[in-house]
Amino acid sequence: MARINPEFSDELKKYGAFDANACYNCGNCTAVCTLSDEDNSFPRKMVRYSVLGLEGEIQASLDPWLCYYCGECSTTCPREANPGELMMSLRRWLTAQYDWTGFSGLLYKSLGASVTGFLVLALAVIAFGFSMDFRMADLLHYGHYFEMGAIALVASVILLPNIIHMWYQTVRKPGTEAGLKTYFTCLRDLLVHMFTQKRALGCDDNQFRWFEHFILVLGYLSLLFTTVFLDWFSTQSMFIIVLGYFESAVIFVVTFDFVRRRIQKDHEISKHSHSSDWFFVVWLFLMGLFSFLVRLFIDLNVLQQNMWLFMLQLIVLVQWALLIVPFGKWTHFLYRSFAMYFQEIKLAAN
Amino acid sequence: MIMEETKKKILEYDALVVGGGIAGGESALNLANLGYQVLLVEKDLTIGGKMIMLSKVFPTLDCAACITTPKVSEIARHKNITILTGAEVKKINKLGEHRFEVDVLQKPRYVHVADCTGCQLCEDVCPVSVSDQYQYGMVGRKAAYIPFSIASPRAAAIDIENCTLCGACERACPTKCIDFTQTEEEYLVKARSVVVATGFNLFDPLKIPRYGYGRFKNIITSMQMERQLAPTRPFNTILRPGDGKLPDNIAYVLCTGSRDKSVGNPICSQVCCMYSIKQAQLLMGALPMADITIYYLHIRAFGKGFNEFYAQAQDMGVEFIKGKVGKISEKENGNLILRYEDIEAGVVKEAEHDMVVLSVGILPNQGIADVFENEKLELDPFNFVQQSDMLASPAKTSIDGVFVAGTASGPMDIPDSILSGGAASAETTSYLRRGTL
Repeated sequence: MARINPEFSDELKKYGAFDANACYNCGNCTAVCTLSDEDNSFPRKMVRYSVLGLEGEIQASLDPWLCYYCGECSTTCPREANPGELMMSLRRWLTAQYDWTGFSGLLYKSLGASVTGFLVLALAVIAFGFSMDFRMADLLHYGHYFEMGAIALVASVILLPNIIHMWYQTVRKPGTEAGLKTYFTCLRDLLVHMFTQKRALGCDDNQFRWFEHFILVLGYLSLLFTTVFLDWFSTQSMFIIVLGYFESAVIFVVTFDFVRRRIQKDHEISKHSHSSDWFFVVWLFLMGLFSFLVRLFIDLNVLQQNMWLFMLQLIVLVQWALLIVPFGKWTHFLYRSFAMYFQEIKLAAN
Repeated sequence: MIMEETKKKILEYDALVVGGGIAGGESALNLANLGYQVLLVEKDLTIGGKMIMLSKVFPTLDCAACITTPKVSEIARHKNITILTGAEVKKINKLGEHRFEVDVLQKPRYVHVADCTGCQLCEDVCPVSVSDQYQYGMVGRKAAYIPFSIASPRAAAIDIENCTLCGACERACPTKCIDFTQTEEEYLVKARSVVVATGFNLFDPLKIPRYGYGRFKNIITSMQMERQLAPTRPFNTILRPGDGKLPDNIAYVLCTGSRDKSVGNPICSQVCCMYSIKQAQLLMGALPMADITIYYLHIRAFGKGFNEFYAQAQDMGVEFIKGKVGKISEKENGNLILRYEDIEAGVVKEAEHDMVVLSVGILPNQGIADVFENEKLELDPFNFVQQSDMLASPAKTSIDGVFVAGTASGPMDIPDSILSGGAASAETTSYLRRGTL
């Protein structure tokens, strides 16, 4: 029995959607989409579900994650119903649905809540700095521990349960019966999509956008590894120091381009920016930039006199690790690749 | 009636009708029959508008030319109607009640129409071949040419832009009616009323590059198919343009440039569903073995006998698929792949056809509003002429004494255009009689 939520369209608007009711179901969006195929014909079906308020169908669907947003459906939509942005909003909505804590939904729907969260964390970091008398060695030390602790905590308490929730909604609940062997053999797809995002290459004229995103992901993941496990800020190894510089530079250069595009709005995909999109790209940019500068100040031996920079870096890092990673746009990294994994499992099982 | 001024010829008429299509023609004829002196200004070389180019009309399948040509002849021969073809209205000033001053510019035809017998000897000797606009580019014509066999006037014209001035036509003409010394003619028309019947333009499918019109040879517009089906057709059968093959699997793509905000035309063109269904039925007669598929969004068969006509097409075996075609690609053999979402199944599909007809929509023929100088002719949000009192007096415009007929006021079919032309003539009459009774 399908449950209908008559308020769904209004709910979705809080996540950034436009008036999907303009849709007259011509199917143009699905037909122009290069990623749409017989197994997963989208986005019109999702537009229809959204108009009808069929929440259950949307929760059970992987389609929003299979869209890599080239924007062609929106530019050619005869009703200007903006299906591309609807899919984006559904991804935000699904992120909130998967999240057992409910924080995702709160942060997506309320800019005030997001700003409050960012401010509270900033004040907490400053208070922590005071309690340490802004001693450089201690702060570096605790900063490093914070990173490791935050990763372990966020991954085990938030992200893992949410992925299991996603699996339950999209695989288990719709009745997919797959053996362990299938889960194992499809793991390859999970890894390939997680680290290459190669499906995005299927979008029209998308080679450069894919490449930028690809090196950004590699830069981000390797910087994470370099700071957490190779202890970049404290290492003496020339190789690791240079590697870290390179990785953080990749991050702020690429994200600078992303921010530029969102400001200039010269492509369909950069025309509509939700606050969560801004937080994501700007914070990633700041992380790259501040990490780069902190290491630079260490190498120039001037960090001691400029602890404000380290505090800024720490604030951005804490906000990133405790808000954006568990509840914000960062999660698309997981949900997209797991969606490809679950999709392969569903296809193999049927 | 014609008085020589320094340069401009001054003409006086009760009514100026701008546009010689079926709506303008109907208005002109009604006014002339009531005894009014009418000047009909047509920018093309022939009157009859788009209707004279059509094959048959829906839903009766009457021959369009068989309705248009007698009407056109009647207009052309009427003693109260003067026709200026190849002429454009440049300026209209309203000086007062029943006082319009109109500048008309007539381009030279380089042929004395009265002397031309339509023998076509000039066509035979002309060495220049160019694309024939009256066959919508599917065949060629000469630079000295008669527009088409049922044109009115059926007289030659010289396409001076493509002419090499070789003089062969002049030498061949038995009545010596070709005259390269003709120049532009300017008229100052004093008219007591104006009827705007400027018709419509067809949507140009080049504006939807993903359909591949212009790149893929076997995609034609519905107007090109209309010509292929008409009695005065170019090939005497139905051929796909790429290789001259008889098509046996034809697709229609409805709403090409209609109901589409992304191309700037959000409204329904009102005729595409029906003319496509009509063409499908005619094709089943012309090519009995051919499969016809119509891709539609919603079939709008709202007029008298329309829905029965739609049902008849279904009974004849025309396949109707609900789903807007998203894009078209071409195979090496010239066949076309249409990608669409089958809305009934909710699944994206691809289908192969050997010929595709784009059912292009109706766009406003803009420009007429600009010629009104001291009073503004209001347009509606879609740039058709605004009907200031649409329900009570559908022919009235924002200017008292200026009336609108036919598709100048919005998309409509032929019966509605003729009705609208009738309404415009009736309202013009009542305006002309105002103050006299």
